[in-house]
Amino acid sequence: MSRSRLIFVVFYFTVVLIGAVHLRVSASRVFYRWCKAQVAQDNLKLQLGDKQLKLEHLLNPSVISERIEKEPDPDK
Amino acid sequence: MKTKPHIIGIGLLLVIVFGLLSWRVFYLQYCRADTYLAQSYEGTHAHVPDLPQRGRIMDSRGRVLAASNKVLTVFIDPSQLPHWDDVMETACLLQPILEIPAPNICDIVHEKIRLSYVPIKTGITEQERRAIRQARLKGVGIESKWERYIPMEQLTSHIVGFIGGADDPSSPDKVGLAGIERRYDSLLRGSKGQRVLIVDARRFPIGSDPQRTVEVKNGSSLVLTIDGTIQEFARSALIKQYADYQAESAIAIVMNPWNGAILALVSLPDYNPSEFSKADPDTMRNRALTDPFEPGSIFKPIVAAIALDGGFVGYDEQIYCENGNYAKYRIGEWAGHSFGNLTPKEILTQSSNIGMAKIGQKMGRKNLYEGLRMFGFGARTGIDLPAENPGLLKPTADWSSYTVTRIPYGHEINVTTIQIIRAFAILANGGSPVMPHLVRSVTDEKGVVEQMAKKSNLAGQLIKPEVAHWVVREALTNVVKEGTGQQAALEKWEAFGKTGTANIAVNGQYDTTNYTASFVGGAPAKNPAVVVLVSIRKPNKALGKGYSGGRVAAPVFREIMQNTLTYIEKNQL
Repeated sequence: MSRSRLIFVVFYFTVVLIGAVHLRVSASRVFYRWCKAQVAQDNLKLQLGDKQLKLEHLLNPSVISERIEKEPDPDK
Repeated sequence: MKTKPHIIGIGLLLVIVFGLLSWRVFYLQYCRADTYLAQSYEGTHAHVPDLPQRGRIMDSRGRVLAASNKVLTVFIDPSQLPHWDDVMETACLLQPILEIPAPNICDIVHEKIRLSYVPIKTGITEQERRAIRQARLKGVGIESKWERYIPMEQLTSHIVGFIGGADDPSSPDKVGLAGIERRYDSLLRGSKGQRVLIVDARRFPIGSDPQRTVEVKNGSSLVLTIDGTIQEFARSALIKQYADYQAESAIAIVMNPWNGAILALVSLPDYNPSEFSKADPDTMRNRALTDPFEPGSIFKPIVAAIALDGGFVGYDEQIYCENGNYAKYRIGEWAGHSFGNLTPKEILTQSSNIGMAKIGQKMGRKNLYEGLRMFGFGARTGIDLPAENPGLLKPTADWSSYTVTRIPYGHEINVTTIQIIRAFAILANGGSPVMPHLVRSVTDEKGVVEQMAKKSNLAGQLIKPEVAHWVVREALTNVVKEGTGQQAALEKWEAFGKTGTANIAVNGQYDTTNYTASFVGGAPAKNPAVVVLVSIRKPNKALGKGYSGGRVAAPVFREIMQNTLTYIEKNQL
């Protein structure tokens, strides 16, 4: 094998190795970011659920009845 | 050729060494393979349990009656903070984030110093969560747990129920302990999942293992037949009268007579299901289902309908009512009234006990018993709530000679209010049996309907439509127009119904001071949209305001009916 061929093989082999490692690290990083995004999405869902429940509490018929009873009659 | 001894020795040594190495490899690879595989697996994988979100319970208009949401709790693990100085330092760092003074945090930790989990604050905000994460405090963690919210609180306490600790003490899950939460627990709970992640040396996730991952299945949601607005009409009307008359308990039920759907169900006293552990157990009983009682006069239309349907009595037949004293059977009339000849319509309008006793005698034991069984008395209605009592209708073999004269006016029989309202629903819809029910449909977490409630109209016809129509449109409308139920009359619609003022039996004798005041009926008479039952137990007679069904229960019926029909009309439900 000529010297240039040997250099080419070694270079090619090294590039493939570095590429494989890079792809693997990138995949892990993307997966980690995806996990974080999913947690953030879950947190947003929870906040939304929390707000909806607070709203439901404010709008429920018994609370509205109480408020109507407390409000002064405009005719009086 | 002679082999040198030291070469043989070296050879033997090499054989032994390689033999031992081979044995070690065999031991590690074969005998201890499971252990090391497990260790390797544990080091590269993380298991994250996924607890399912319990399904929602909603009313018929989509308002939330119960829902789960995650609550975040900050905790300290004192085992991670070996010195008290570490605890104080952590408390000082937590103080500005949680707005809890550091000495208070130290006190909380000091009380539970031997535990590895000391909750500091529950229900932290997203900002607080982020601040704690960024601070990266040693020994401080954030735990998330599903929490159940019941926005309508008391309003639907006996319907929705509550959840609590599981029967299995090792299980972290909560199970339904009362109401719909209990009856439909398996549907609402869902099933646990587990995410399996591939992690690096720092335990950061770098991939997932889908083959070992078990997907979490959130619980299904339920849409009830209950309408929160009608429930509020019923509760607010009932609670006023319950307080005004210092009653022991009270029940109001609103039902669609055509399919048995319960639109409102109130049992007083009630409780706050969000704080059920503080509630008096007596308030937690859904009396509409659990407390059978002698119904008194509200039972009369049912027996009259059975008698008319069987031809035991004619519509215009005159029945002699003994001028108020049926001495042979020791029966008198309500409030000392005295009647001569009455038709069945007049018997119901005037609520004559003697007239009903004579109708019972005309029917005879067997026919009366079979008719009542056909209407479902003495058996559970099958409503989808737990702890339903079947009531008591004794077999004819156990009847005394008086029984056939007592049952027709609602004595010597125990019924629940749900059985009574179902019977009135049957009369109102023209004689078709219905099953009282609370669940309209089951949906998945996105709101897509998984299944509708079973068809609740049962096969067959219990009584002829003309009999049911006559009882409702002729006799029971007359009770409201001219009889004991005049306070139930509505302005815009024609109501029908029947009053009841039943003595309460105590130690085998009727108590003359305590009564159950009831009214059950519906409107509009020609095509009833709803039937309503109101039953108030032991209104305080000493207040001098009255204690009869017509005085105590009928006004509540009127208010509920007036509001409900207006609401239905305006919303075109």
